[in-house]
Amino acid sequence: MVVNMAATIAVGDVIPDGTLAYLDDDSKPQSVSIHSLAAANKVIIFGVPGAFTPTCSLKHVPGFIERAEELKGKGVDEIICISVNDPFVMNSWAKTFPENKHVKFLADGAAKYTHALGLELDLTEKGLGVRSKRFALLVEDLKVKVANVEKVGEFTVSSAEEIIKAL
Amino acid sequence: MASAMVKGGGSRLIKSVSAALGTRFYAKVATGTDIVSAAPNVSLQKARTWDEGIASKFSTTPLKDIFKDKKVVIFGLPGAYTGVCSNKHVPPYKENIDKFKAKGIDSVICVAVNDPYTMNAWAEKLQAKEAIDFYGDFDGSFHKSLDLVTDLSGALLGTRSERYIIYPP
Repeated sequence: MVVNMAATIAVGDVIPDGTLAYLDDDSKPQSVSIHSLAAANKVIIFGVPGAFTPTCSLKHVPGFIERAEELKGKGVDEIICISVNDPFVMNSWAKTFPENKHVKFLADGAAKYTHALGLELDLTEKGLGVRSKRFALLVEDLKVKVANVEKVGEFTVSSAEEIIKAL
Repeated sequence: MASAMVKGGGSRLIKSVSAALGTRFYAKVATGTDIVSAAPNVSLQKARTWDEGIASKFSTTPLKDIFKDKKVVIFGLPGAYTGVCSNKHVPPYKENIDKFKAKGIDSVICVAVNDPYTMNAWAEKLQAKEAIDFYGDFDGSFHKSLDLVTDLSGALLGTRSERYIIYPP
């Protein structure tokens, strides 16, 4: 599959704007723009290949949930998890983490935002289609301060622990 | 040979299920169609955990293996974890599975344009895995071959399948 990749997001870039989706408290789909969450704020955006897959569910997300208070204490305004899934799936997946208080689960169903970040990953062979690489970004006032993009199949630099070191 | 009929008339069982669903059905896949011939080289992915995927080397199931020498009912729906699908469409099939078996149906299959891991988690949540075989058509190829796709971008779902049932004569 040939995909025209945008340049991969890097330190010093201005984060692109884009629209992501979620379900509100009445289970209705809503949209939100990244810039509306990130402008004049310190935000962490971390991406996962897929809801309901093991590393994402058992290690990546829990790491950010557990350290959310600590991240907030260090001035992080928003912690955002994005994945190429629809908002119904993201909402249901988010509910499997009842202890979560701060992490927002946002859906990039058509992979448009992931494409704008240059972080697509073709997982067609695994039955997932085009998804996102595993990554974590620290963004301050829309500028990327930290861009940790994981090598396929690994889970090291994109963890909560790594990004805390940068704060 | 796997003939297919898309609900238009049909047995009393199908009628009572469809009455419970309160839905209409389309006849894009015409009565008498051989599904395997209509969608050659198409495979589905059985709902599974990631570990099961690794163990099976992410194998796919060709349609002929699903249909071969069996009487199969397939029903499709727009999306796992969405309202009508979860609350109204799957439960009647699960509850009536014995009636299907009594009529000689070997298996009832539920398909949606979702990846097989999401389908698996959803099937477990609905406690329906014993009754129904869930498959993912993650890239839509099965539904595109049968002209059963619909654009649900307005609901932020993208290209999905229609809501339908296919059953043997």
